[in-house]
Order: sequence, then C-alpha cells, then structure tokens
Amino acid sequence: MLTRGTLIYIIQRLLIIVLTLLVVSFVVFVVVHSLPGNAFISQRVHGRTLQLLLHEYGLDQPILIQYWNFLKGAVQGNLGVSLYIRGEQVTPLVLRELSVSCEVGGSALLITIGLGITFGVIAAMRQNTWVDYTVTSFAVIGYTVPSFVIAGLGVLIFANFLGSITGGSFAYAAVWTGTYGTIGELWLPALAIGLYTSGQITRITRASMLEVIQQDYIRTARAKGLRERVVTIRHALRNALVPVISILGTTVVGILVGVLVIENIFGIPGLGKEFVDSIRFHDYNVTVGVFTIFALLIGLSNLLVDLLYTVLDPRIRY
Amino acid sequence: MAAGVEAIDYAGGTLARAQVGLWRDGLRRLRRNRLALAAAIYLILLAAMCILSLFWTPYNPNLVGTCPDYTLPGPGHPLGCDDLGRDTLSRLMVGSQVSLTIGLVTAVIVMVLGVGIGLMIGYLRGVVDAVFALIINTFYGVPPLMVAIVLYVLLGPGLINIIIAIAATSWMDMARLVRGQTLSIREREFIEAARSSGARTGKILFGHVFPNALGPIIVQTTFVVPAAILTGAFFSFLGFGVPAPTADWGGMASEGFSPLLAGYDPYMLLFPAVFLSVTLLAFNFFGDGLRDAFDPRQRR
Repeated sequence: MLTRGTLIYIIQRLLIIVLTLLVVSFVVFVVVHSLPGNAFISQRVHGRTLQLLLHEYGLDQPILIQYWNFLKGAVQGNLGVSLYIRGEQVTPLVLRELSVSCEVGGSALLITIGLGITFGVIAAMRQNTWVDYTVTSFAVIGYTVPSFVIAGLGVLIFANFLGSITGGSFAYAAVWTGTYGTIGELWLPALAIGLYTSGQITRITRASMLEVIQQDYIRTARAKGLRERVVTIRHALRNALVPVISILGTTVVGILVGVLVIENIFGIPGLGKEFVDSIRFHDYNVTVGVFTIFALLIGLSNLLVDLLYTVLDPRIRY
Repeated sequence: MAAGVEAIDYAGGTLARAQVGLWRDGLRRLRRNRLALAAAIYLILLAAMCILSLFWTPYNPNLVGTCPDYTLPGPGHPLGCDDLGRDTLSRLMVGSQVSLTIGLVTAVIVMVLGVGIGLMIGYLRGVVDAVFALIINTFYGVPPLMVAIVLYVLLGPGLINIIIAIAATSWMDMARLVRGQTLSIREREFIEAARSSGARTGKILFGHVFPNALGPIIVQTTFVVPAAILTGAFFSFLGFGVPAPTADWGGMASEGFSPLLAGYDPYMLLFPAVFLSVTLLAFNFFGDGLRDAFDPRQRR
C-alpha cells in the first residue's frame, strides 16, 4: 500500500505543513509582539528594572532578529521561556498541556465519530420515519447550539439537579481537580465539544448512506441473500464513509475551537486555557507555541484524512 | 423570463402553471417551508425587540442595584437579575443589538470581500489564484477563533474591531464559492457573446457573472450571520467581548457560569443561552429554507 507515489505525496504534504507553520508562526510572532503592553506590566516593573528584563529576554531587539532567534530554538524543539511565569520553559509546559487537551479533544473525537456515524446510519436506514426526523432534528440542534450552552445545561442537570435529588451522592463535579481528568470529570466537557461536531457527521453520514444504498451493487448484495446488517455495514457504510472522512479535517478544527472554549469553563489545564491566559498576560512565546501546535495538529490530521481515503477506497491513489 | 404569462386553463383544469420569475418562484417555495417561515417570524420579532430596546427597556440595563443581586425570576423582574442587581430582561433586549450587529454587519463585509476576491481570482486565474489559494489554505490551517482573538486584541476593544476580526477570518468560504461559480460561468456562451460584443471586464464580472451566481451567494451569506453571532458569543464568553457595561448574550452567559457552578442561580446562564441558541437555530433554519428555495441543486 505504501507505494513510492504515496511516499512522495506524504513528503510533499509534510513540506507544505512546514511552510504553513513558518508562515503562521511568523505572522503570529510579529502580531503578538506588537500588541500594546508587555508581559511585565502586571508584575509592576518599571524603569531600569523593566529595561533590564526586556534585555534579558531579548525583547529590545528588532522583531526580525527576535523571530530568527525563536526559529533557531524552535527547530531544536525549544520554544523559549515563559515571560509570565518567568524562566519556565515553554516546550515542556505546552507539551504537558497538549496531552491534557488531547485527552479532552480525543474523547470528543471518539464521541463525534461514534455518535455521528451510528446516528447517521440509523437515520438513513429509517429514512422518513419518526426515528429519522428525531435524529436529524437533534443533529441540527447539536451543531447549532454553542458548546458552552450545552456545557451549562449539562452542569444544571447533572451537577445541580441530580445533586439536589440525590443529596449530592451522584452529582457531577463540575470543576476539574487534577491535571488529567477522571472519566467522571471528562465526559461532560467531551460531550459538550463532541455534540457540535457529531451533528455535522450525522448529517453527512445520513446523506451519503442514502446515496450509496440506491446503487446497483447494494441490490446485488441483497439479491445474493446477504443479511441486511451485512449489506449495511460491510457494503454500504464503507463506501458511504468517503465523504464523511473528507469533513473530518473540518471536524478537527471544530473540536480545537471547542477545546478552546470548554477548557476555560471547566478550568481544564490544557492548551485552550493556556492560549487565552497567555494572550491576557502577553506571554508571547506561549501564544506562539500554542498557535504552532494547533496548526501542526490541523496539518497532520488533514494529511491523515487524505491517507485514510486510500484505505477506504483503493481506487484513490497518490 | 416572461413573468406575466397567464395560466392556461383547459376544460376547467389548469394545464400549465403561470410562469414566474426566479425570485417569485423562490419566495413561493420559501413560504411553503413551515420551519423556515417560523424561523422568519421569530427573526422579525427579534428585530422588533432589538429596535424597541433602542428606545425603551423595562429598566435601565446598566443600572447597578435595580433589584437585589441574584434576584430569581418573579413579578417585577420576569427573568430575574444578575450578580450586580441589573434587570436580566432589559440586558437581554439590549444584548440583541450587539449580536444582531455582529451577525449582519459581518455578513455584509464577508459578502463584499468574498465576492470581490472570488470574482477576481476566478476571472484572472493563474498566479493570483495560486497566491490566494496559499493564503486561504493558511487560514484554514489554524482555528479561526484563535486568529480572530489575536487580531481583536491587536486592534483594541470595541464592537467595530470585533466585527473586523470576525470578518477577517470568515471570508474564505465565500471567496472559494464565488471563485468556483466564476470559473464555471465565465466559460458559458453568453459570456463569450458579451465579450465578443465588446463588454469590458467590469461589465462582464458585475453585469453577467455576479447576477448568475447570486443565488448561492445569498444562501452562503445567510449562513455567515449565525456563524458570526456564534463567534462573537465565544469572544465575549472568553472575556474578549464588547467593553463593560454593554450587555451582550455571550458575556451574560459567561457571567452566569459561576452562579451556576456554585448552584444558586441557574437563570443568569439559562436565559441568554436560550436566546442565543434559538436565534442561531432560527438563522440556520431560515438559511436552509432559502437554500432549498433559491438553489434547488444544492438540496440535501
């Protein structure tokens, strides 16, 4: 499967990702450094001390030289030091936060794919029945209602209401305590993010399934006497998944935006919370680092999506 | 199209329906779509409330201490009061101004920007197209909300800057759509006819290509509105919204989270959340209806 053509394709794509990362990091670097104020304002440093600090962190140099220095570090995996928590290395910080965000985002992705594809297939199989209408309505509500509203309703129902009727023994603890959440803490943030994206997947899966099951080879499979479940899952779904896979790239962006918002609600110590804090505190290196990681994640997941095509549909080659 | 041809009556029955133009035909289909109609009625009511709030609200929306802090819904204050004792209903009414302004103005800017860029790169092709493809792909490579937030912080606080930041990160879909339409329309015979009869580029683009792509453009524009309102709500929710004390739904929902988590006043979150969600749903349903009505090929 991994032919020479595929390999060349992957290398080309990786080069484009690197190019995108360069552009994104440069633009973000220049922009965040020109934001009004600096990281030391909240620390009440003035005059000579401020000048010394700026000098120590190289912030008094021309912006292009600063970027060049950043880049030299970045290719060695060193994203510099935090300016807010002075001296803290950014790379280990964002990597730890990345793992937290991956826990949340990964669970959201599982929910998205699981719910989306299951409900999409169910709706298509029961087209124009009340099952179909219910599922499609929920899909529309899912991808329209903002994630923080879903999170709020979840807290209201599972923390407040459930807590009050059971005297607090089964209530959802809404605030994240450790670095990594337990399953009990994780499910609501993941669901709040995942419902939005699963709504889109449901719609695409349903439409795509409806198109596929009208084709001749499905009739052939049925005529051979295969059971309906085999026809649906092995014959129809596999081909119906191609358009679904194609929007998975968009889904990843949606999940990252969800992570950004939801982490700030539940106090989850991940990249999304760090991003908002770093902007507030003018922690330049952290902002650029988070941005670069997000761009890398999106680039890689788009590449993965394109490679998944070839697995699902052997006719597609690169 | 001859819009005024009478229906042909034959033996008491109608053989052919009266021919109607694109717009009237679309409106007829839109009227038959009950969900879209309900959405339209809600949106009209919302607009009326928004205009009303410019002149009158039950209480001063920004007056601290109108009622005791965290007053629950009841007589006098049907939706309760917030953490500073401000009337929630009044603030919700005024908050619609921010949401609707963000949604509508962003949509107009995105339409102008996207149509302009799309027409240009679809018509010029070549290097310009390649350059913009690179720009658009770079934009797609980062979460739009992050870019918008950084841009907004750079521009400084204010409603106009929120709109600029959101518009700057949501024109790409429109540009790609218009580019595709332009690429296909410019190859059609009537464009060749126009060119051979001496029409200039501007005339061809805005007189011929643009009107023929108008259906999908309008449909796309109606989807920009809820997307922009949602992004605006995320903005204020994360603390990058319009400066205090101006009320807006995202910010109100954000303020409502701590009393909700603490478990003593869920309404501060609930009401702005419901208003925001229903408004987004209404715009989406209306957009779906418009698409089915004016762009039947896109029907899903």
